[in-house]
Amino acid sequence: MIKPDMSVDIGGIRMQNPVMTASGTFGFGEVYEDFFSADELGALVVKGVTPEARIGNPPSRLVETPAGLLNAIGLENPGVEAVLKDYLPHLKGYSVPVIVNIAGNTIEDYCLVAERLSSSEVVKGLEINISCPNVKAGGMAFGSHPDMAAQVVRAVRKNTKLPLIVKLSPNVTSIVEMALAVEEAGADAISLINTLLGMAIDIETRRPRLANIVGGLSGPAVKPVAVRMVWQVAQHVKIPVIGLGGIITAEDALEFIMAGATAVAIGTGQFLNPRCCPDVVKGIFEYCQNNNIKRIGDLTGIAWKEA
Amino acid sequence: MKYHIPQALVTGQEKKAESTYLLSFHAPEIAKDAQPGQFVHIKTIEAYDPLLRRPISICYVDREKGLVVLWYQVVGKGTKLLSSLKTGDSIDVIGPLGRGFDTAISGEKIYLIGGGIGIAPLIFLAQSLKEENNITAFFGGKNKEQLLPVNQLTSINCELATEDGSIGHQGFVTDLLLRRLALEKPARAYACGPNGMLEQTALITRKHNLPLQVSLESVMACGVGACLGCTCEKGSSGEEGWVKVCKEGPVFWEDEVKLL
Repeated sequence: MIKPDMSVDIGGIRMQNPVMTASGTFGFGEVYEDFFSADELGALVVKGVTPEARIGNPPSRLVETPAGLLNAIGLENPGVEAVLKDYLPHLKGYSVPVIVNIAGNTIEDYCLVAERLSSSEVVKGLEINISCPNVKAGGMAFGSHPDMAAQVVRAVRKNTKLPLIVKLSPNVTSIVEMALAVEEAGADAISLINTLLGMAIDIETRRPRLANIVGGLSGPAVKPVAVRMVWQVAQHVKIPVIGLGGIITAEDALEFIMAGATAVAIGTGQFLNPRCCPDVVKGIFEYCQNNNIKRIGDLTGIAWKEA
Repeated sequence: MKYHIPQALVTGQEKKAESTYLLSFHAPEIAKDAQPGQFVHIKTIEAYDPLLRRPISICYVDREKGLVVLWYQVVGKGTKLLSSLKTGDSIDVIGPLGRGFDTAISGEKIYLIGGGIGIAPLIFLAQSLKEENNITAFFGGKNKEQLLPVNQLTSINCELATEDGSIGHQGFVTDLLLRRLALEKPARAYACGPNGMLEQTALITRKHNLPLQVSLESVMACGVGACLGCTCEKGSSGEEGWVKVCKEGPVFWEDEVKLL
């Protein structure tokens, strides 16, 4: 039996396997320690960080939908200084690359957070969040216009030497146009998709179920949309693509890889199975063994490369 | 310690009044480590609808036999599926989760105030506190049938209240609490039940300077403090913001959360 090479490279971040956590579903790396070691991951992507502490949206913040989850957390986080002081040092003992998701209201906010995080020896990459649907300013506003997205990326690029991943919103007319804009602006990788904008109404109270009215849809319900977007983007950009959206099993992850993803990220799946990430790593490994795949990278984009 | 037991064996399920059920399953690790007030997080179906686990407070544990008992109410799709499980089926459980009741107390007079299915975690609490303390429970429900499992599960001293007066006092548990507080001063109270009952209880205990712990419920996704979905507003003892019901709770000192 062959021992497949599971390692991948995301914009200079070397990962032992292609499975990452999705920002906002794993805290700052501490919450799932009882279930598995973060060192079993390809990379650890921690919660979105803004310059100042944010308390996030009022409850209710969650609505379960068929095979999906609507959330409107609103980027609750302790702010970049507290993250540097109280959260990141805890991750020093791990060998897994740590990537921090960054967000803000203005371009200056993104630059400030990027610059501050670059001072941490723990941080190996940044994921620029221009796609959060649950905050009023910034977030998705930057993620729905190619020019604005490119401006953010260009500005952040000047403030850090760290590899930059740009997380794209699916709530756009042309995902390919967005991807090309951020690639041209200096992104080292692209992750997609963030959540799909949605809402739900309680027919008893006749009011929206989320206090924020709208929220982001994740879970298996969004997977086909995400796979389609990875397929489209991966064929147009040269930089690696991280695929996410509804991955629960290794089979789901392999679909994304075959659509063109170099790596995958797991979010909502973690809430169902606290060992989802290591289970997916194991499942991908076994698939490669059983199908005589020597390198996981050989499967990236195979669905269109061999068509 | 938290455990994930994807194949916990169901050892019994009994239907009780008001769409409530008593479910027991074999999970020795959880039975051994669980503290009163903690909960288990259950996947009710292998498929993806409902997608999320269901958080349910532990009602009773039998550490010798390694059993965990839940007394829960069917309120939606997930609990409906749970109620269809039979002896010999397996369930996917994570637990014990959350911060339970503060049980560092002995030689004291203690009150338990429970309404409806909110009585469940107080049974476990009574199980742990009754040896060393003098417990009085005020339990309320719709009718006599709804309160029947109480006798099956615990032998503590209970004063009952029902909406229809079919057993005990006709009215609210808080009526019983007020009446009793006129006669004596306990050291601490613990409550779990509908929000209205918790609010009324907090009003009374504040007036009597009686320390109160409450167990809250919330819609949850992860159950372990990762998703920040199950927030509840901070109370007078904290700054502006939210607490996570799953991780910092589900049990809080009354002033840690905003009940009123």
